[in-house]
Amino acid sequence: MAIGLAVTAAFVVIVGQLWYLQVLEGGRFLDASDRNRIRIRPIAAPRGILFDRHGVPLVDNRPAFTLSLIPRELPRDPASRDAVLGRVAALLRIPYQELQDAVARVQADSFPPVRVRRGLTLEDVAKVEEWRLELPGVIAEVEPKRVYPTSRFAAHLLGYVREANEDQLRQGRYRRGEMVGQSGLERLLDEHLRGQDGGERIEVDAMGRPVRLIQQSEPHSGAQVVTTVDGRIQEAAERAMAGHAGAVVVMDPRNGDLLAMVSTPAFEIDRFTGTIDRSAWLRLVQDPHFPLLNRAVQSQYAPASIFKILVAAAALQEGSLTPADRTQCAGEFHLGTATFKDWKEGGHGTVDLQRAIVQSCNIFFYQAGLKVGGVTLVRYARAFGFGAPTGIELQGEKYGLMPRPDRRGWPAGETVNLSIGQGAVLVTPTQVARFMATVANGGVLWRPRLVQRIERSDGGLVYSDAGQVNGHVELSPVVWEFLRRSLWAAVNDGTGAAARIPGLDIAGKTGTAQIIGKSKATLGQDHAWFAAFAPVKNPEVVVVVLVEHGGRGGEVAAPIARKILNAIFFERVAAIEVRG
Amino acid sequence: MLRVDRRLLQNVDWALFATACALVVVSVMTLATLSVGRAGAAVALRQAAWFVVGLLALVVVACLDYRRLVRAAPALYLLGLAGLTLVYMLGRSVSGARRWIVLGPISVQPSELFKVFFVLMAVWVITSRWAQPVGRTTLVMTLPIAAVPFALIIKQPDLGTALLLFPVLMILLVGAGLGLRLLGGAVAAGLAALPLAWLVLRDYQRERILVFLDPFRDPLGSAYNVIQAKIAIGSGQLLGKGVVGATQSRLAFLPERHTDFVFAVFAETWGFVGCLALLMCYLLLLLRGFDIAGSSREPVGRLVALGVTSLLAVQVVINLGMVTGLLPIVGIPLPLMSYGGSSMLASLVAIGLLLSVRMRQFQ
Repeated sequence: MAIGLAVTAAFVVIVGQLWYLQVLEGGRFLDASDRNRIRIRPIAAPRGILFDRHGVPLVDNRPAFTLSLIPRELPRDPASRDAVLGRVAALLRIPYQELQDAVARVQADSFPPVRVRRGLTLEDVAKVEEWRLELPGVIAEVEPKRVYPTSRFAAHLLGYVREANEDQLRQGRYRRGEMVGQSGLERLLDEHLRGQDGGERIEVDAMGRPVRLIQQSEPHSGAQVVTTVDGRIQEAAERAMAGHAGAVVVMDPRNGDLLAMVSTPAFEIDRFTGTIDRSAWLRLVQDPHFPLLNRAVQSQYAPASIFKILVAAAALQEGSLTPADRTQCAGEFHLGTATFKDWKEGGHGTVDLQRAIVQSCNIFFYQAGLKVGGVTLVRYARAFGFGAPTGIELQGEKYGLMPRPDRRGWPAGETVNLSIGQGAVLVTPTQVARFMATVANGGVLWRPRLVQRIERSDGGLVYSDAGQVNGHVELSPVVWEFLRRSLWAAVNDGTGAAARIPGLDIAGKTGTAQIIGKSKATLGQDHAWFAAFAPVKNPEVVVVVLVEHGGRGGEVAAPIARKILNAIFFERVAAIEVRG
Repeated sequence: MLRVDRRLLQNVDWALFATACALVVVSVMTLATLSVGRAGAAVALRQAAWFVVGLLALVVVACLDYRRLVRAAPALYLLGLAGLTLVYMLGRSVSGARRWIVLGPISVQPSELFKVFFVLMAVWVITSRWAQPVGRTTLVMTLPIAAVPFALIIKQPDLGTALLLFPVLMILLVGAGLGLRLLGGAVAAGLAALPLAWLVLRDYQRERILVFLDPFRDPLGSAYNVIQAKIAIGSGQLLGKGVVGATQSRLAFLPERHTDFVFAVFAETWGFVGCLALLMCYLLLLLRGFDIAGSSREPVGRLVALGVTSLLAVQVVINLGMVTGLLPIVGIPLPLMSYGGSSMLASLVAIGLLLSVRMRQFQ
């Protein structure tokens, strides 16, 4: 019968359609069914934590919400994809173009999330979740965010973390939207700190409810970094520097550990994390006080009278002077037609070497420098590490300036200036700290150390730094002893008196770096230095303070050093006593 | 009452019966897989229970002489119409449609059973002496018996079942010897009335037809069913994803997966090979039915067999066509497979009628 044939024909057509759907296009539909049921949830790896030497975290992470797009889960046809993006733009008030650009930059079916907007409010997250079914491929992802104890704490040392910039993207090491350490230790150790993101593949039902976990790759959090910094000392140093522009370096002379490194004014690290608006950025970059500059390693100053320690060392070691040699200081020194003055009008009267250090007598050192000779002075300066990188890990370290005299063409006037640390010589506060550490420990030139070790989250050791000696300065023990005694006297009976703390033997030297050739009216006051170590017997810390345009070292820098030393030696004891 | 005749028993079409039972077993199994990993296999159990009820009805119908049933057709037809009217008064709404009457723990869908009564009624009218010879008069006499229930059913609204009545009627008329020219005229008139039908349609029904023409009109709305069904069927590929792997069905991406779209569940689970086997079963069933009609020498039996087979055939073809995306979505269940007591009962009664005709073909 015809009806039987008609039904058979209809069945053939249906079988043909089944062949088309299941065999010819089956793969595509299988893919579509997987896209239906599988949701990819990225799990961002927490960035590694930076600890101080006692295991106290210097930065921490806190969960924050990030709006991410998962390209593979977005609708494939452009019209409905644009509709989804449009919905997101309207819901969260994000410029539509921003979303379009974010999607356009990656492959259409890639898995890794494209992070579009960080720091979503809970309200935004609720909106995204509420519209979940209408927003395939759009998620509010939990991503750990850096938090800082206080917004400026150790800003230069730690550095800030931001999304990879165009230059870094061009190098090809980072993906767009990835958080990258941009300065300080965050930048130096970025590779270790960043960790590896994980993810989950979840099977969901038609209502988007998770049914089971198909696959999971754990995020590997970044490595933990144990620094040499002592958070308490860092804090004390920052407190002591409040209101001044300058730098503080606190170093352990026994191993070169940097216990604190302060540069003021500091910037607010947390404002740099995530997104910063253009005007805030410009304000920071164009600030006349250069808050982004790490003055402890990136600024160079004349060492001024601190350099007299080096002149004394050279003179004694070379036999140009003995501790008993005396000079009459009348406040002026004549070399040819030029007149060099002492900082103290009328001079210091009759002074020997120790007295000259204690009083910081310029006249004595002009003569001493000339006796030693410029070439020898520079040789000693280089032996103490001036004019060369200290080997600190931080980016952008300045090397300072130390002239290379040839034996004939070294004018005596230059030597005179050099003898009191002025003229063609520039140093960084970190170089001065290392110099003082060398004086304190009797000639060992340590490389400043910031990172003790880096440990993977599972406990494995990635890197460890046992400290490194860059060189030795060979002086007679008598000379070292003489220097230490003189520096103790400078604090207890001289220009550094403002640093004195009863019950603690402090050795130190003041310095006042003149700003030459320009009127004080335009440049402000001189830079104030104070470099100290304590206790004099078996020194444990070196403290170097520089205050830009602060005035006299003994009046401005020394009291700051005193506060820091007091915090190091007495507030710690108090803390222990309270605990005990 | 029931004469148990040895000759009747000899002529039982066991192949037809076995195929129908096999399809129901597949149905129960498929429904059972849907509840894998979820609470309660209630749906599969209820389907099995209805199967038992339906089997009893099948045996009763097969034992009765179909001619007595045709003689009772006007009464059954009126009973059916009463049922359809009752739906308006007592009907229970499910997703916006009033199709069910609740009787204690069970709900009955009168339109399903009515389809069988309608076939009997049509046969009664066509074979009545007033309708002889079959021609224009017959056409005019039979159209109202389709038109009245059509109006009642389309108001439920149940477009699919309503539209089913006309092709079945046409096949019956042709089988009774209606001239092709008259049939052509009737079909042409029907097509001309389609724009009118557009006005009668509800918005969602119009949307379904537009979506059929353009599935991506609204992928998360009305086109969702078609797209998800295609994904389910297609992802089954050649050999199927198995019970656990059939995620479209198991995770409820496929709507109406117990009822109208049950074939998509089967296709996802068993793949092209499984579908081929299932379609062979249906084809065997239908061709057997047409064969019973063809080999019956008695005009009433011939038309009854033709009518119920056509009823099943049209439903199977339309359901498979819509689930595979060849036809627009109209709510027509797949006989013997889709979950639903009334549909199961009606289909098994139809098979019972076929058996009855076969058993009495030599009388």
